Amino acid sequence: MIRLSALAYLGFALSLLVSPVWADELNVYFKTTPGFEHLRPYADPAILSLLVTDANGRPLKDGSVALRLDAPRSGVFFSTDFPWVEGTRLQEVQLNLRQGRANWKYLFPIRGEYRLAVSVSTADGRKANKEFTFNVRENEKKWGALAAFSAGLFCLGLIAGRVFTAAAAAPKQTAIIILALLSASTGRAETNSASQDPSAVLEVAPATVGRPTVVRWRFINAVDPSRVLLSLAIVHLEKGKTVFGVERISVPGEFAMNFQFTDGAEYRLIAVGEQPGSMPIRTEKTISATALEPPTKAMLPAFGYFIALIGAGLIAGRWSKRRVP
Amino acid sequence: MERIVHAWLGLAVSEQTSFLIKSAIFLFFTGATLFFALGASYPAVHDTLHNVRHALAIVPCH
Repeated sequence: MIRLSALAYLGFALSLLVSPVWADELNVYFKTTPGFEHLRPYADPAILSLLVTDANGRPLKDGSVALRLDAPRSGVFFSTDFPWVEGTRLQEVQLNLRQGRANWKYLFPIRGEYRLAVSVSTADGRKANKEFTFNVRENEKKWGALAAFSAGLFCLGLIAGRVFTAAAAAPKQTAIIILALLSASTGRAETNSASQDPSAVLEVAPATVGRPTVVRWRFINAVDPSRVLLSLAIVHLEKGKTVFGVERISVPGEFAMNFQFTDGAEYRLIAVGEQPGSMPIRTEKTISATALEPPTKAMLPAFGYFIALIGAGLIAGRWSKRRVP
Repeated sequence: MERIVHAWLGLAVSEQTSFLIKSAIFLFFTGATLFFALGASYPAVHDTLHNVRHALAIVPCH
């Protein structure tokens, strides 16, 4: 009995020793271009790069990485401009490593802390998992616009406060805010229009903001499916920006990923498949992602803040008016 | 405001009460205008002010 328990302890101790060594055999490095501190939502697409090396620092020759990118969680008080995206899965994709590297383009949709989970699998069966977190700061121009808008609301309240305080002495005219509403509603383009090349198919499931959509591409009649190179770009048509892109990644004749279309807008997907000795096959598809109304809990803090600002302006206006004899 | 209240209810309104009533009405209308401009889903308004909503960083959009 004593021997058995001693053996069990020995086995447990060995497992503790072996596990870290096994995990340490692969090093996973992650960087973005531009650097993390320069990333901004809906600015320019960043290039995300992974490098996997063995224990000696040599890039891995064969292997693949399964990536999972999660959006930042909701803020304590204020929402971002895309509340349905907060805390959701943005993409799940598997990429083959080339000289230990995997690169892809991505346009970050909101500010906050993103989480990237990487799972590496090598041809000889080794595995390693790593999670990276990085912060994307809000565009400074947006903070400037919010400050100017807040100042405007405060001034509006201030003027009104002065006018209302002075009203006892003489009737004043109250300014009436009139919004010029321009009817700019334009019909949406036909959704899910597709033009397919006969030798490649690009399929996109119905896309809705807030949840990932399956994007699938496959080569038909590939001579050697293991030697297909795929370039895929997803372009936000309204903004004219690439929100996701991979260039000439080797795929086994087909490629699939879960991708979240974070804005309720139109996107164009462009896939180019290449095989040695044949013309590249280009496939395009235009889709329209379904938008969702923002939840009330995301709207209340912002509008509460704006009304509080006007209220503070009213009090300040009254105070300033009464202070002067 | 004082005249309206006096004509309708026959009550004399103090300056402070008058300020409060006016402020409440003003806040209601500015709040409603803000919500209509930045929170409503009516396509004509939404599409016109879509970029403004996104530019303010804290106003949710679709």
